[in-house]
Amino acid sequence: MLLLCFMLLMGVMAACSGEEGAAGGDAEAADGDTVKIGALFDITGGTGDVGTPYSEGEKAYYEYLNSQGGIDGTQVELIGDDYAYDMAKGQRLYQELRDKDNVSAILGWGTADTEALRQQVANDQLPYFSASYSENLKNLEESPYNFLTAATYSDQGRAVVKWIKENHEGENPTLALLYNDTAFGRSPIEDIKAYAAEVGVEVVDEQVIPVTATEAQSQMLNMQGAAPDYAIIQQTWGATATILREAQTLGIDTQFIGLNWATGEGVVEIAGDAAEGMLGVVTHAFPYEDLEGLAEMEEYLESKGESLEDVSQKFVQGWVTAKIMAEGIGNAEELNGEGIRKGIEQIKDMDLGGLAAPVTFSADNHAGTNKVRLAEVKDGKFEVITDYFSYED
Amino acid sequence: MKNPFVMECGNYKTKYEKDMAIFSIKRVKIRMLGLAILAFLFPLLADNYVIGLATLCAIASIGAIGLNILTGFTGQISIGVGAFLGVGGYTSAILTSTLGLSFWVALPVAGLITASVGALFGIPSLRLKGLYLAIATLAAQFIILFIISRWTGLTGGTSGMVLQRPSIGSFSFMSASSYYYLCLIILLFTIVYALNLFRSRTGRAFLAVRDRDVAAEIMGINLFTYKVLSFAISSFFVGIAGALLAHYTMIVSPELYSITVSIQYLAMILVGGLGSILGSILGAIFITLLPVGLGFVMDYIAVYMPDMQNTLAAFHELAFGAVIILFLIFEPDGLAHIWSNIKHYFKVWPFSY
Repeated sequence: MLLLCFMLLMGVMAACSGEEGAAGGDAEAADGDTVKIGALFDITGGTGDVGTPYSEGEKAYYEYLNSQGGIDGTQVELIGDDYAYDMAKGQRLYQELRDKDNVSAILGWGTADTEALRQQVANDQLPYFSASYSENLKNLEESPYNFLTAATYSDQGRAVVKWIKENHEGENPTLALLYNDTAFGRSPIEDIKAYAAEVGVEVVDEQVIPVTATEAQSQMLNMQGAAPDYAIIQQTWGATATILREAQTLGIDTQFIGLNWATGEGVVEIAGDAAEGMLGVVTHAFPYEDLEGLAEMEEYLESKGESLEDVSQKFVQGWVTAKIMAEGIGNAEELNGEGIRKGIEQIKDMDLGGLAAPVTFSADNHAGTNKVRLAEVKDGKFEVITDYFSYED
Repeated sequence: MKNPFVMECGNYKTKYEKDMAIFSIKRVKIRMLGLAILAFLFPLLADNYVIGLATLCAIASIGAIGLNILTGFTGQISIGVGAFLGVGGYTSAILTSTLGLSFWVALPVAGLITASVGALFGIPSLRLKGLYLAIATLAAQFIILFIISRWTGLTGGTSGMVLQRPSIGSFSFMSASSYYYLCLIILLFTIVYALNLFRSRTGRAFLAVRDRDVAAEIMGINLFTYKVLSFAISSFFVGIAGALLAHYTMIVSPELYSITVSIQYLAMILVGGLGSILGSILGAIFITLLPVGLGFVMDYIAVYMPDMQNTLAAFHELAFGAVIILFLIFEPDGLAHIWSNIKHYFKVWPFSY
């Protein structure tokens, strides 16, 4: 009986919030000075380690923007929820954002769910910024409404391979690939292998390590057998730290290079001195760099009684992604999905104040940039060691 | 005219046909028809989001009825439902996207192929029972997913495959309500089939196998045939559900068919009621909507405690688990039993003794 009451209560609440959503939609159409952006966050899921600061960055930017008067007076309402890196949940949340909240554009998260949603996104005409930089999303025929705000995983990997080729001392550098068995993990692997073969870097080993792994001894032992000079890690913070710790335990002297989600303060925090000497692909700036783009963020954080020391690189990444979306909305003539898409396509060499490589979009190119930097962990801190470069340079 | 508020007090059957009828009295028949009409009129009243949820419920119901045929009616445990959904989804994806066949051909073929894969994994059921069988079907889950994610040439590996919504001529089932109707009609067929199955020899044999397989064998029921048949029929519906789901989400990917999905389907039939068609549907609706309902509760709480949002997101899983545990403790016979309790209460009301 108790349960029945609970269910009835839930039904009533569902009905109430349903009406609320519909009313909100009408109000928006009437006055038109709010634009609704939907968001899929990963806070509790497998990639929540990097997903949480990223989502905070996105929320923070719009809060800051609204406090500064919005986009030419248009306030941005960010409606987002945790989908726990679960595709089915992501699908449901997407429907909710589309049908109940009537959002005009979406800030997404993972590779699998972004790729899963791209057809529907195209059909519903909702511009979609994902935190996944999967090469597949470049394909304009299959994903006409997806935009990539940083270099794709494949481009990151290619840039790393090029850097290895140019900076390796001695002959014939050998490379291992460490990734997880998800769409995210596997996304750049084939492209990296093809590019490595092209430029003459030999891929000698591949190891699959779960994204939530807390131990990876057997995989690292296998890798030790192949003794590669370099290993590219396509993981998030947790698994990367696991790999580095196991490598330290086993005394492996391979140079580890993380792609962008494997790089960041979190790795050093978890892995400690095992992270020392690790290289990482940096798509977005660290908050402790000296950059003009950080001024806005500092202003926002101070208003909250915090400072740049309290946020991480993934926060910057979320902030920048939200900012590029705002720029697209600012360019849009009509505040609907189609209008925002055209607005984003007008972005040319958008200066992000050093927070990331400048992005450019057009009607036939939705990949904003292919430039990355590299950083090295020195004394427990990532230090940027290169300027922005791409494999095509 | 009969007073509509007076309940039936006796129901005497004078013919065997009457005893076999699905709906024993006319009033129930009318009520069921009314319910079906209500389900058809429902999209006219609801917004797209609610219709989308209802579509997911309808698809889950088809799968849950399928699983209930196997587990609830034949007594064979299967933890491989998630993978069988995947077989259905991938079959349809390959047939429509790669080979360019029509959805209307791909759907039944997806059912048949899943049925044969299901039957294959059902073969050990002759020797294995209970937990042993559960683990054997768990193997199906892993083997099938392994094949799906490694056979990149056929399935696209971990990146999955993209599908289209079905169409008839120039009409495409793109809108929320049109796809809902499609799923609803298939669900009605499934219900009618399942209800009739248990009036047939095959269905009764399933029940006999469930209740005491040795006794069933002595009665002349070929255990092997019927167990494998049960796996096949059950997997057929799971495959259909998988294909419908794939065309609904327009994507298939190994991540969609994890062990969690199998557990969810088991939860559906447990919460709904083992061995009950109505239970399968109620359970499917409950499990599909529970996270949505919990989401509302969490949003409601978050209004008063905005700083807690990230913590509350984690509580989501906890609450989900707790609700299921409480359910199994306090109402092990499921929602179907709650419903029949309510009916009986009103049948004798106000003279409950």
